[in-house]
Amino acid sequence: MLKLLKLEYYKNLNYKPFKVFTILYFAILIALLFIGLVDLNVFGGTVNLKEQGIYNFPEIWNFTTWIVALLKIFLGLIIVFSISQEFTNRMFKQNTIDGLSRKEFIGSKLLTITIFTTVSTLIVFIIAMFLGHQYSKVTDASKVYAEVYYIGNYFVKLFTFFSFLMFLSILLRKSMFVFLGFFAYWVAEKILAGIEAYQKLAGIPEEQKKAVLENDFFITSLLPLESMSNLIPNPLMRLNMLKVMGVKYDAHYPTESMIACIIWSVIFIGGSYWILRKRDW
Amino acid sequence: MNLITLNFGIGLKILSKKNKNTVTIPNLYRLLLCKTNYMEKILSVKNLTKKFKRTVVNNISFDVERGNVYGLLGPNGSGKSTTFGMLLSTINPTSGDWYWFGQKGTDPDTLKKIGAIIEQPNFYPYLDAETNLKIVAEIKGTPHTRIDEVLKTVGLLERKKDAFKTYSLGMKQRLSIASAMLNNPEVMILDEPTNGLDPEGIIQIRDIISNIAKQGITIIIASHLLDEIEKICSHVIVLKEGNSIYCGRVDEITANNGYFELKADNNTLLLNALEELQWFSAVKADGEIIKAQIRDDASISASTLNQKLAEKGIYLSHLTKKKLSLESQFLELVKNTNTHA
Repeated sequence: MLKLLKLEYYKNLNYKPFKVFTILYFAILIALLFIGLVDLNVFGGTVNLKEQGIYNFPEIWNFTTWIVALLKIFLGLIIVFSISQEFTNRMFKQNTIDGLSRKEFIGSKLLTITIFTTVSTLIVFIIAMFLGHQYSKVTDASKVYAEVYYIGNYFVKLFTFFSFLMFLSILLRKSMFVFLGFFAYWVAEKILAGIEAYQKLAGIPEEQKKAVLENDFFITSLLPLESMSNLIPNPLMRLNMLKVMGVKYDAHYPTESMIACIIWSVIFIGGSYWILRKRDW
Repeated sequence: MNLITLNFGIGLKILSKKNKNTVTIPNLYRLLLCKTNYMEKILSVKNLTKKFKRTVVNNISFDVERGNVYGLLGPNGSGKSTTFGMLLSTINPTSGDWYWFGQKGTDPDTLKKIGAIIEQPNFYPYLDAETNLKIVAEIKGTPHTRIDEVLKTVGLLERKKDAFKTYSLGMKQRLSIASAMLNNPEVMILDEPTNGLDPEGIIQIRDIISNIAKQGITIIIASHLLDEIEKICSHVIVLKEGNSIYCGRVDEITANNGYFELKADNNTLLLNALEELQWFSAVKADGEIIKAQIRDDASISASTLNQKLAEKGIYLSHLTKKKLSLESQFLELVKNTNTHA
């Protein structure tokens, strides 16, 4: 464990893209958490997200994790660069010859992923807690911790996303291909979801379509990107201005997405190991 | 100092007080082993085969004994690097087995006893030499104090803080030798260590390698520079199109077919006399000089031949016994199997 940590430390210490994106990520992450404090200019009018209740317990967990999860692409770049350079510099082959096992290699990369995910989660938790206590209308423990599970979901969401990127990096080896591959996969998942929805809605009268979309179970919602996204649902409906308009939001725990994400992580990690073993280097 | 304490003292260091030189016990131990136990097999390869789209390595078998220097010979594309890749666990074999130190296959712990250089020097280009070697030391579980020692051996100690990408090709190659030596390996695998180097670089690498060989470390080296193999190797394995066509001692491959160059006042008489002797597979005149190829099963010295001819009343004005160089032997071998195939 300590050995793998040291390896990752030496490898990444002086790697420029790694340093640049790490600093950039954490700076933007912290800044973005405070976004509710500034007046945003939207469609000519000013919107203050704090006034819209994003720092209210318990909604704050949903709002903050959803907003900062958009930044995961920065961390994703770090993961992709740092893994694909192992292959473009032929270092995976050299590490293997020097006596690093495939398991240790995967382990060292998972260690980096886990550290980043943990640090990011902790920062979000601590700052959200601070902001909530500063600006929330209610601070009773029951409200504070009512939806704190979003922090856990945030951790799983990031971890699954990075495992996916690790898998793609090991599969495709060049960072450019990884980005293209990721984009192609994203489009493919959307198309599949579209096909499934089209099939379910075919032949159903217009007025029932909305009910089907809301209540039916979609297999494509268990695909990696969709289940990651369902872990933290879009909280826009919970803004004060929409509440005033009478939009209802019912919070429920996304159990099936959580299970899907954990299974996908296992598949991605196992798949990465399998590729490293089976391929000739 | 006796053998028993040496055996127990592996991994310790003896400090000789006079010159403050350190002698590591593993090397001494190895030296003793190679003197006392000549036949210990370090590597045994049996029927190793690799097929990509075509067969790259075809059913090759050979043994490597402790303390010897082996040359793996063969033209480009004859399967040398693929063979090394399989022995170093980066390429999965199609069939066949091998045993390192009597143990089947290659696991990460075995690799820690091996120092290997493949095709080209691989290091993190943005890291300096020292950090690169720290990574290798972490993987192999070697103390970091070895880093300065090996950098000194290859003459890179002054440049240890410079990024790898600023190094010349010769320096890069020397750094990979340093890296391979880091863990005091019992066996070293060198794949084309002098490829692309200038003459000075080649000499530097060759000196380093012969120094390593003197420490009793077993070396397996692939090269297509034959005079180089001839200079440092005791054994050769010749590969051609994935087949192993010769495996044995260098002096045997070169001793097999020696030949004489002779000249006398009357060359016709000499020619007749030589043919009568039955020692030669071919006798032919090449201008003034007569060349007599010694038969494979005959062993004959220049003085014996001179005596025999003198008895027949032929006095030579010129007599030399020559050996075919490894290069011509190699070409001969490759050509022979061509006609058979």
